[in-house]
Amino acid sequence: MGFEYDNFLDSLSYGIRYLPVTAKLAFTALFVGIIVGLVVAVVRHYKIPVLSQFLAVFVTIYQGIPTMAALLVYNLLFSSLIGDIINALHLKVAVRDVDNIVVGYVALSLFSVVSISETFRGAFMSVNKVQFEAGYSVGMTKLQTLRRIIIPQVIPVAIPGLINNMVGIIKGTSLVSAIGIMEVMNASIIPCSRTYSFVEGYAAAALIYWMFTLVLETIAKRIEIWSKRFRKELA
Amino acid sequence: MEHIFSFERLWKVIPQLTPYIGISIRIVLYGLVLGSLLGMVVAVIRIKRIPVIHQILSVYISFMRGTSMLVQMMLIYYGLPMLLLAVGIDINSWDKMTFVYMTFILNEGAFLGELFRAAIESVPAEQTEAGYSVGLTGAQTFLRIVLPQAVKTAIPGYGVDVIGMFQNTSIAFTLGVVDLIGRAKTIGTAMGHELEAYVYVAFLYIVVSILFRILFHWIDKRYSFGREGVAG
Repeated sequence: MGFEYDNFLDSLSYGIRYLPVTAKLAFTALFVGIIVGLVVAVVRHYKIPVLSQFLAVFVTIYQGIPTMAALLVYNLLFSSLIGDIINALHLKVAVRDVDNIVVGYVALSLFSVVSISETFRGAFMSVNKVQFEAGYSVGMTKLQTLRRIIIPQVIPVAIPGLINNMVGIIKGTSLVSAIGIMEVMNASIIPCSRTYSFVEGYAAAALIYWMFTLVLETIAKRIEIWSKRFRKELA
Repeated sequence: MEHIFSFERLWKVIPQLTPYIGISIRIVLYGLVLGSLLGMVVAVIRIKRIPVIHQILSVYISFMRGTSMLVQMMLIYYGLPMLLLAVGIDINSWDKMTFVYMTFILNEGAFLGELFRAAIESVPAEQTEAGYSVGLTGAQTFLRIVLPQAVKTAIPGYGVDVIGMFQNTSIAFTLGVVDLIGRAKTIGTAMGHELEAYVYVAFLYIVVSILFRILFHWIDKRYSFGREGVAG
């Protein structure tokens, strides 16, 4: 029983067919993470009472939970509560028609919000306090200062961290295979159940993830250079 | 349907589950100690730019960075026995834990290798020149001048890495290893209620992660001497 090249190609084609599912999971989480993460970072940076303390505790605690454990808990809650939720909302869908990919979206988005908010928070701290004061001194409101002065400076600083977050999220999408969602990882090993040889399937999945990350990373590096185009003169 | 969560069941799973944290800690220790050794080798080769090996290591690091640990673990678990069987070594009888350790060591070797390289390269070249100028040899300069400064730079990243590794140990159960989650699954099946066991597992992970973070914060503070004046 050696490495069967034909089976590998077979797995590769199955895996690639499900790349859109993985991409959708990753990009939804990334998008939600950037929007909500930015809000969380702003709230914590301005130390808005109650909310900022609550978020600080939540982020610290949530960072301690492995995504895998979170996924399993959510999946369990989902499968035991979905019937009640459907009844409560009087929806006309059968329990078995609801896909648990929702769980994947929720778990990955939360993970991404928490990690991206920390990236933004670090980037906010790198902006000199004088910049805030400069905004106020010319009569801008807090929001105007934030939008026109601070965030444009935060973004180039945050991008390297965001690239790392993105890679982490893409890798995280493979974990949802553990709760039975059909994505690249699970799809790649479909042909393997016929041959009982799993190496080809996992090798195919690894190759797809690797290429996917490399392509996205290359694009992101371009954006990073582009976003820094105004900083060169200063440096 | 009866209550999906009860504290009674939660108290019952605590003594059954807690000892299994040891398995996660053991994985972290293996990954930390052997992964650091591998990382040092990787860092040295990358800094010295030894031809051929340097290029192979770039591919290795890129692979470890670009794929998830779950995929890597599966690949090692199914692929390595096949690879070694081809050269006449039979490792099919090895314990599953061995493959988990291997995954963590190989993965950490890449990440820590990059961390060490960045830390060593962050020490200005003048420091090395200063060492040479007072008559130290290359090894002495590295050990006495460059390394102590590099270690300080590497500590925060090291802490983040260890916590990440600890959380990644939660994937071991997918191979059928009975770790925290694996045990939670079997207890849950036996009781007919899985939620309490999982909630307790999540709680344990949070507590240990926070303890790790406190530990590294302390180490970072302890070894930041001489930096305050420079950082400004």
